[in-house]
Amino acid sequence: MLKTLWVIAHNTFRETIRDRILYSLIGFSILVIATSLLAASVSLGQDIRVIQSFGLTALLVFLLLITIFIGTQLVFREVERKTIYLVLSKPVKREVFYLGKFLGLALTIAVATAIMGAVFLALLAYKTKAFSWPALSAIGFMLMEAWLLTAIGMLFGSFTSPIASAIYTFCLAIIGHSSTSILTISQKSQPFLKYTLQGVYYVFPNLEKFNLRNEIIYNLTPQSPQVTAVILYFAAYTAALLLAGMAILKRDEF
Amino acid sequence: MLKIQNLSKVFDQLGEDITVIKSLNLEVKKGQVFGFLGPNGAGKTTTVKMMVGLLRPTTGKIIIGNHPAGTLEANRILGFMSENPQFYQYLTAREVLTFVGDLFGIERQELARRTDRLLNQVGLKGKADIRARNFSKGMHQRLAFAVAMINMPELLILDEPLDGLDPIGRQDFKQLIRQWKKDGRTVFFSSHILADVEELCDRVAILDKGKIVKIGSPKELIGQKRQTLEEVFVETVRTHVYDTVKGDA
Repeated sequence: MLKTLWVIAHNTFRETIRDRILYSLIGFSILVIATSLLAASVSLGQDIRVIQSFGLTALLVFLLLITIFIGTQLVFREVERKTIYLVLSKPVKREVFYLGKFLGLALTIAVATAIMGAVFLALLAYKTKAFSWPALSAIGFMLMEAWLLTAIGMLFGSFTSPIASAIYTFCLAIIGHSSTSILTISQKSQPFLKYTLQGVYYVFPNLEKFNLRNEIIYNLTPQSPQVTAVILYFAAYTAALLLAGMAILKRDEF
Repeated sequence: MLKIQNLSKVFDQLGEDITVIKSLNLEVKKGQVFGFLGPNGAGKTTTVKMMVGLLRPTTGKIIIGNHPAGTLEANRILGFMSENPQFYQYLTAREVLTFVGDLFGIERQELARRTDRLLNQVGLKGKADIRARNFSKGMHQRLAFAVAMINMPELLILDEPLDGLDPIGRQDFKQLIRQWKKDGRTVFFSSHILADVEELCDRVAILDKGKIVKIGSPKELIGQKRQTLEEVFVETVRTHVYDTVKGDA
């Protein structure tokens, strides 16, 4: 089973890494990250903060775009192009197929993050004359967020069209980054709205847990308990999403 | 090798039940070449998809070897070529075969040998390193045929395999089927090209509106009237349509 999982993951990696959208997004992101130097040059003594904030935000936005453009289409395209016949008529469990697709794309996203992150870290090191470990951990957290969003995009993509799933994933990303505000509003609301907002807060992914941008501006490295809690949150949430996607694919007929 | 017992398939279309296959019973013995004929919409592809686990029967069962269809064990001993086969466009013919061979867990050296041999047999020897997206329909068919044979299956299931093939391709294909039969393997295929079915098959079933309306060897079906299989096919389907309309009235 593990070998089959690897064969499908490897094939998905090969498929997604050859996607032209990926190259365009990585190229464009590098350009945007590089322009943070320009933005920094017109700031008043805040150049490093500007590079950190601008660069990390650009990285997050481009990771989100890669996830939305590629992740939401991954399963849908297999069904639409009927390449799923090629795989599911072989001794391959549907769950393994789904998980393999996720792992393949997760690997592609890791490569994209490594490229964009390396450019960002190099720019930061050039400006500060030192390597920023907190920035590296912020990128690591962002990668986990992108993987979680990939699982969300794939789940939507397994029962709806790519456009609809892209919209849903984007909305969830926005809601996920508004979690803290949602909780704050809920505490000041009437009972009905309060419980509704609290429901939203607990059910939808809290993507602010993966946000270390403020910490690195103040050069704070995340502590082990925080890192462990975020990793466990990521693992549990992603596993639940993948299990739901697998259940849908197992039920489907082609 | 293949047993279909009391098989039915009902699709739900906007709340309405559409019965595509009705109480189908069929047996294909090891070493036979079995032709599955029927007009468009008869249910051939639906039956084939249930054999390979892409669809689930509503009632009844399909046994491949000794395994229920759709299980990993059943899929391990069959080779499948779908109607209008599609491949990952960014893979070359060799990469497609390697990918599928890996799914079967075929050892790499053996897989490389089989890949070369099969590409040669289906006439794609010089095209091994060309991406599938640059292939014509006929080349897609040839590649799909090689893919179906990569695991040396005991049962080869082919859905409209002759579609899009030129006369040379059809000759190659028929030669391979004969060789496959000589090796004691079983072939189940649906086709519209009745002359080829007549030439290749030991047994033939004619399916119409999800039911088998005639089954037997081509000789038995043609009988004493010295018709061609095509004439038998047309007559059978037309008679069945007439009987169905009469029955409904």
